[in-house]
Amino acid sequence: MVRLSDLPEYEREHLLAKSLPPLGPPVWVTIQKPLSEMRVALITTAGLHYRDDSAFAFADATFRPIDNEEDAGDLVMSHSSVNFDRTSFAEDVNIVFPLDRFKELEAQGKVGSLAAVHYSFMGAGLPPAAYEQGAAQVAGMLKQDKVDAVFLTPV
Amino acid sequence: MTTGISLVRENTASMQPPRALWVPFPLGRPLGKAGDANFQHQVIQHGLELLSRGEGPVLEDFPLDVPRIDHDVVQACSVSFPPKQANKGGWEARLLGEFNLLEPWYQLSLRRRKGRTLVGIAPEPPEENLKQLAAHLDAANLPQTIAWLKPATDDLKALYIEAMTAQPGQYDDAEITRQFWQETELGAALIVIYEHFQNAEAGHLKLFARILAPREAVGRATGINGEDHA
Repeated sequence: MVRLSDLPEYEREHLLAKSLPPLGPPVWVTIQKPLSEMRVALITTAGLHYRDDSAFAFADATFRPIDNEEDAGDLVMSHSSVNFDRTSFAEDVNIVFPLDRFKELEAQGKVGSLAAVHYSFMGAGLPPAAYEQGAAQVAGMLKQDKVDAVFLTPV
Repeated sequence: MTTGISLVRENTASMQPPRALWVPFPLGRPLGKAGDANFQHQVIQHGLELLSRGEGPVLEDFPLDVPRIDHDVVQACSVSFPPKQANKGGWEARLLGEFNLLEPWYQLSLRRRKGRTLVGIAPEPPEENLKQLAAHLDAANLPQTIAWLKPATDDLKALYIEAMTAQPGQYDDAEITRQFWQETELGAALIVIYEHFQNAEAGHLKLFARILAPREAVGRATGINGEDHA
């Protein structure tokens, strides 16, 4: 278990410096249908991609698509931060990007369907505003794919 | 609509996304425990339940802690590293000797993980990158950019971690990290480059240092408090 109070002071201060104000006015969408009828996408900020995609650069606000039909076990990680452990990700992609778990929920009928494409950003080294253009692009593509809800995972 | 996981509660409370589930897990493990589908499903279920909340922003706490590591059954590192041979035989001999020690364990990891590996970000194979790294160190001509260094060292670190955890079983991530930075020649090599960047005049090189090694690991390996490496 790790809480901020368990971390070294410099690491705690580094993380607390990221406690920025809200990005804009509050946004709220009320649920319109049961989860069993929803189309769900995953978005991660863990810097994941397939080997034939370009790796994320040192500070990089671009994103990579992750095809729902491809094996998530083939994803690699080029996140810039060294301040988190990679041992668990080496063992199981789902510890960061739980696509297999969501495919199980889809098969069980608990989630209506999964997006055709999921997305990966690399969350390090840049302020949130730097991601605005890419996030808007992804939002547009999710709308085209008729996605109802997004499940976000950090690293 | 969105929901998702928060690892740093303070950040999420400040930025107020519509819906977030804070989990008390270490950075790098937002779903809690590798290989434990039932536990991961519990985290996901709690996150998805937030979609039905009527008003927000919603920031709720996941009620379970990450499953404890049972130190009675924890798997030891697969590889026994010999004591480091500082300045003996040059970096190339030491790093390639260590690579040869790791190679069969990495092959075992590939078989156990059914071919899954995080190696393959850099265009060159790991052994070639290790030779280039050693050449830089032996010539005391350290890299000035990270365009090659970052993917090359990402691959090498991944190969080491996978080799060190090649056998099936439960591992203590913190112990594997400690061994990498304190017992391996590659860890020592990366700390040399870290300190080269850290002591450079140019500010961008100090930033590069931060993506090579965690400050805490450098502090422990060199006996210098991590705060001195801010």
